[in-house]
Amino acid sequence: MAYMANSDYILEVKNLQKSYDGKKAVDGISFSVKKGEIFGILGPNGAGKTTTLEMIETLRTIDGGSATIDGVDVAQHPYDIRGMIGVQPQTPGFQDKTKLSELISMFSAAYGEKVDPKKFLDEVNLGDKADSYVENLSGGQKQRFSIITALVHNPKVFFLDEPTTGLDPQARRNLWELIEEVRDRGISVILTTHYMDEAEVLCDRIAIMDAGKIIALDTPKKLIKDLLARGFTKDQHVEQANLEDVFIDMTGKGLRA
Amino acid sequence: MTLKQKLLTVWVFFGINFKRLFRDKTALFFTFLFPLIFLFVFGGLNGGGSDISFKVAIINDSQSKFANQFTSEIQKEGKILKVDDSITNIEKANQKMARGELDATIELPANFGDIQQGKGYPSGQAIVHYTQNSQQAAQALTSILEAQFKGINSKLVKSETPFTVKAEQNNERSLSSFDYTFAGLLGFAILGSGIFGPMNIFPELKKMGILRRLHTTPLRVWQYFLSIMLGNAVIGLLSLGIMFAVAVSVFHLKVVGNPFALAAFLVFGIIMILGIGLALGGWAKNERQVAPLANIIVFPMMFLSGTFFPRFLMPEWLQNITGFMPLTPVIDGARLIATEGKTLVDIAPQLGVMAVWLVLIYIIAFRVFRWE
Repeated sequence: MAYMANSDYILEVKNLQKSYDGKKAVDGISFSVKKGEIFGILGPNGAGKTTTLEMIETLRTIDGGSATIDGVDVAQHPYDIRGMIGVQPQTPGFQDKTKLSELISMFSAAYGEKVDPKKFLDEVNLGDKADSYVENLSGGQKQRFSIITALVHNPKVFFLDEPTTGLDPQARRNLWELIEEVRDRGISVILTTHYMDEAEVLCDRIAIMDAGKIIALDTPKKLIKDLLARGFTKDQHVEQANLEDVFIDMTGKGLRA
Repeated sequence: MTLKQKLLTVWVFFGINFKRLFRDKTALFFTFLFPLIFLFVFGGLNGGGSDISFKVAIINDSQSKFANQFTSEIQKEGKILKVDDSITNIEKANQKMARGELDATIELPANFGDIQQGKGYPSGQAIVHYTQNSQQAAQALTSILEAQFKGINSKLVKSETPFTVKAEQNNERSLSSFDYTFAGLLGFAILGSGIFGPMNIFPELKKMGILRRLHTTPLRVWQYFLSIMLGNAVIGLLSLGIMFAVAVSVFHLKVVGNPFALAAFLVFGIIMILGIGLALGGWAKNERQVAPLANIIVFPMMFLSGTFFPRFLMPEWLQNITGFMPLTPVIDGARLIATEGKTLVDIAPQLGVMAVWLVLIYIIAFRVFRWE
């Protein structure tokens, strides 16, 4: 049984633990991510989402338990793992006075590869910005650029830490589409978010974390169904549209600057 | 990843960051113009000839009472003539003059001050030894001695001039003080780009999460360091080359050493000193953390390694200690090759000290490096 399951999952986390000064930031969590799904980790600030991600990304040492990506142990083969994953940090930063095409070349070089920067920039509608510097990009453009720099080596898993924080509604929607495109390429996506609408629209399955533990894990639909089954009702009646729908209707879906 | 792929990474990082430098006006200023400003300021100070005192040695080969008295008179004078008491023979004097540590030597021959047969007064000729570079000093010294002798002569006898002075050039080119200044400024430029560069840039890269992002790739620390070392070596050599060009054309610096040996030596020095910057910047989480430590390390080198003041001006015990600082052999070696025409074999002691520091510094730099 367990061996069968192995082939379906790209990431397997077992009893993962991390403590800071005796305080358990991640308290023995286990979960698995299927190949080709978008997996969301939700939770309030300090729940341990980022620490969990950073351990799997090889940025933090793992205190206890294990994580394997496509059968490769994260703690034992960190350099192999880094070649298999793409990482979009919370606040993507790039060195200044460097052209976008040059940054693409640098990142692909860091993975030991040589690519055509233009092809990658075209994929995220930044082809005409190949000779611009990052400091001249808008927030949304920077996010799109950051995503493509993390995909130059065609990774198996793509991690995003709160990717849409601080973006306008148009840029958010555009990013959602982009993340779905990444998933459609066969890359498994793991993201953290504070936004429930984002999780509901984007994620195939979600894990809700609190105080270092996973307190729920399922598809968004199932979690909602379970809640309703427990007899939950909302006070107010449900509108057929919300304020964001008004905003998008009036300002359009077109991407700004 | 194969080694070839890993080195390709280094090459791409070096190439792009090299191009980037020429888009950064502040970095360009500090890399190329800043050392030149120092060169003009210090070069100008030296060329002014504002030095009114002369460092001389007296070699008294005569046993006569007059010669002894004359010697002690000059030693007491002390205002225009600074007498170096440690020199007692002409060989040592020539050595010191060749190094520019001495302007001229007054020699009193064995028969100086003896009373010649048939005459009732002492006589003799003092010899002033000097080098090609100390002609002015010798002239001034000769006239000072002449004036003194004139006074003595007139007291002794009216019709004859029993005491005369004769100047003799030993026909050797010695180091001017500019040679020392220039070598010091080379050291200052190497110190500036090697330490202050990474020390300021790394914390900034960490603050913006740039190093953290690189940390998620298979990039190794040695690849990253190597790309920076390559960049600093090429840019440093360019910057020092411009300094040499200006020093030769404007300040008449004579470079007699092998230029390839000089370039190789300078690259060695640049990379060794850069290691200190990599260690400091690689360790620091932010600018505030690194500044005090950097000052403790940089300032002693700035003032004791011969950057602004030649080390021969220091007491001997201090010279012995400061000889083992990382920057000292770089400055000494550069001067020995460039202006004294020494080979890399001749400066093996300097290379040895530098090699030990290189290993030590890079062990520390790799140990303390943090990506964030």
